[in-house]
Amino acid sequence: MALLEIKNLHVALEDGTPIVKGVDLTVNTNEKHAIMGPNGSGKSTLAYALMGHPSYEITEGEILLDGTDVAELGADERAQRGLFLAFQYPHAIPGVTVTSFLRSAINAKRKAANGGEDDPIAVKQFRIDVLAAMEHLKVPRELAQRYLNDGFSGGEKKRVEILQMAMLKPRIAVLDETDSGLDIDALRVVANGVNELVGPEMGAIVITHYQRILNYILPDYVHVFVDGRIVASGGAELAQKLEAEGYEAFIPAGVGGESA
Amino acid sequence: MSRAELIERYQAIPLPTKSEEHWRFTDLTGFDPDSYTAAGDAPASLAATMLEIDASGMAAVGEAGITIEHAPEGIRFELLTDEHPLLGTLVGHSEKFAAHNAAMWEHGLLVHVPKGAVVEKPIYIRVTNAIEGGSLFWRLLIVAEAQSEFTVIEEYASASAELSGYSNAVVEIIVEEGARVEYVSVQNLSQSTWHFASHHATVGRDAELDWVAGGFGSGGGKVWIQNDLAGQGATSRVTGAYFVDNEQKLDYDTFQEHIAPNTTSDFAFKGVLRDTASAVWRGMIRVEKGAQKTNAYQENRNLLLSKTAHADSIPGLEILANDVRCTHGATLSQVDREQLFYAMARGLSRQEAERLIVRGFFQDVLDRIDLEPVRTALAAALEARIPQA
Ligand SMILES: Nc1ncnc2c1ncn2[C@@H]1O[C@H](COP(=O)(O)OP(=O)(O)OP(=O)(O)O)[C@@H](O)[C@H]1O
Ligand SMILES: [Mg+2]
Repeated sequence: MALLEIKNLHVALEDGTPIVKGVDLTVNTNEKHAIMGPNGSGKSTLAYALMGHPSYEITEGEILLDGTDVAELGADERAQRGLFLAFQYPHAIPGVTVTSFLRSAINAKRKAANGGEDDPIAVKQFRIDVLAAMEHLKVPRELAQRYLNDGFSGGEKKRVEILQMAMLKPRIAVLDETDSGLDIDALRVVANGVNELVGPEMGAIVITHYQRILNYILPDYVHVFVDGRIVASGGAELAQKLEAEGYEAFIPAGVGGESA
Repeated sequence: MSRAELIERYQAIPLPTKSEEHWRFTDLTGFDPDSYTAAGDAPASLAATMLEIDASGMAAVGEAGITIEHAPEGIRFELLTDEHPLLGTLVGHSEKFAAHNAAMWEHGLLVHVPKGAVVEKPIYIRVTNAIEGGSLFWRLLIVAEAQSEFTVIEEYASASAELSGYSNAVVEIIVEEGARVEYVSVQNLSQSTWHFASHHATVGRDAELDWVAGGFGSGGGKVWIQNDLAGQGATSRVTGAYFVDNEQKLDYDTFQEHIAPNTTSDFAFKGVLRDTASAVWRGMIRVEKGAQKTNAYQENRNLLLSKTAHADSIPGLEILANDVRCTHGATLSQVDREQLFYAMARGLSRQEAERLIVRGFFQDVLDRIDLEPVRTALAAALEARIPQA
């Protein structure tokens, strides 16, 4: 059984405007998938819909996680089942430190794994884990006690997204333009973070505009996303072709995509 | 004035109505302060406390009287008498409920700390309404002589969550030259209790008053908070945090009165409301003619957890001096659904996510509280008040 299977997924905005128009995609552990597509083509909408954002309505299709349709579940339950979204634009939660947010998230996951009964992580263990993960991902120490994403630079936000991923150990991670806004060093650290986690326990979908991160992540599959659909799929070489030629060749006649 | 005259005085003042500016948002229809029994012989029973405090002195106040459980060394911590010369010097009897208190109070306490005395641990006073349909008139007088330093924590509670009652409090605080006083007043009465309180402090030269007001209980009423910056270099800081739900109505009416030059006042109130609860905050800063170089700040921020909750903020400035700095701010917001989604995408249930956001909302007011045990206790009290997941 596939880990994540997206079948004929259609997603519309609250006003009914269709954005995602029939996506089929299967992702297994040990796999890295890249999704590349023009601005406004619906990549983030797909990511949000996978995660269960209430503003996006699934009008057709299925999202199967381990064979179970999660399309009706809330974001919390999807996360508890191992879905993770690294946000393109992470939100700030003033007054809540990175550490305390992480602890709440970990405890929520542990609670779900414990049949709904609280099973909080020992404070000491948590501290050890956070410090190790921060060190490993080169997240500056002082970010731990700052309020989550509150006044963080673009790059700091992205690093903290990856920190959360590393701590929560999801089974499917969707990284929505995590590479944008990262300096070269951070890019390497983030790519390494993804590479280390992808394996028998995790598969990943990396949404990006740039070949650059793919040089480090080396995707197994590259999908070209245009106007709400995957219009081409291939191996890593497809990304190079895109980088050289742009999306022009993939935009079907009659579609006024923003990059057309 | 004799008690008989005070009763007459009280009776002569009509119950405030919404046509009066200060009562515009607080409706007393259906409330009859005289329908509550003023006396009773309930023991000064203890309600479950919201605060876990290691205190130097402790008193329990109820309808039947006051029990001083232990008094701190070196200060006066004793029953207040009608004859005290400072009684009523800050809160008079021109307002209906202050007049009712002046006429009716039986049990009061005096906390008088002599010059230069430092009381390390807080003094803790618990005021408990325990009689069904009863009224409790509580009176506190705090005198901080020059250079003294101490903390008074006052907690209002009901013996049971269902108790209906009437709580009427008057607190007068005199902070003399160079003294440093922390005053914490946490109100967690039952939701069928009316609570009216007048808290009035005067702060002398180079003295500091640091005040924390917590509002969690009661159904309706009004709390007046006035600080007079009476001596040069005086500072007062009032930090308010409230959380109300169901049909609770809170009303804070604050007054920062700058009389002397070079004085600072800083009032910040933050509240979270859910269900059909409502809150009114009215804040007036007045800078008198002679109070040059005043620095005054006030803010009120409300977070609404439901569409039917409601909050009004009415800031006000009245500036008679020309070299002053006065700022104020008020905001009304709802839990941001993107924040909620972000937290839920990390596995937190909707309620857990909401709790986290609410906790975050209160964090900066908690950060204002210097005294660690008070901060911890108030954080715990807030935590207890936020509905459990
Ligand atoms: N909440 C929303 N309200 C209105 N329009 C929206 C909303 N979310 C997405 N859209 C619209 O849907 C389309 C797809 O947006 P989406 O963010 O999914 O694109 P994207 O492929 O991620 O683009 P980018 O590469 O710029 O991140 C855009 O036209 C966008 O304006
Ligand atoms: Mg996007």
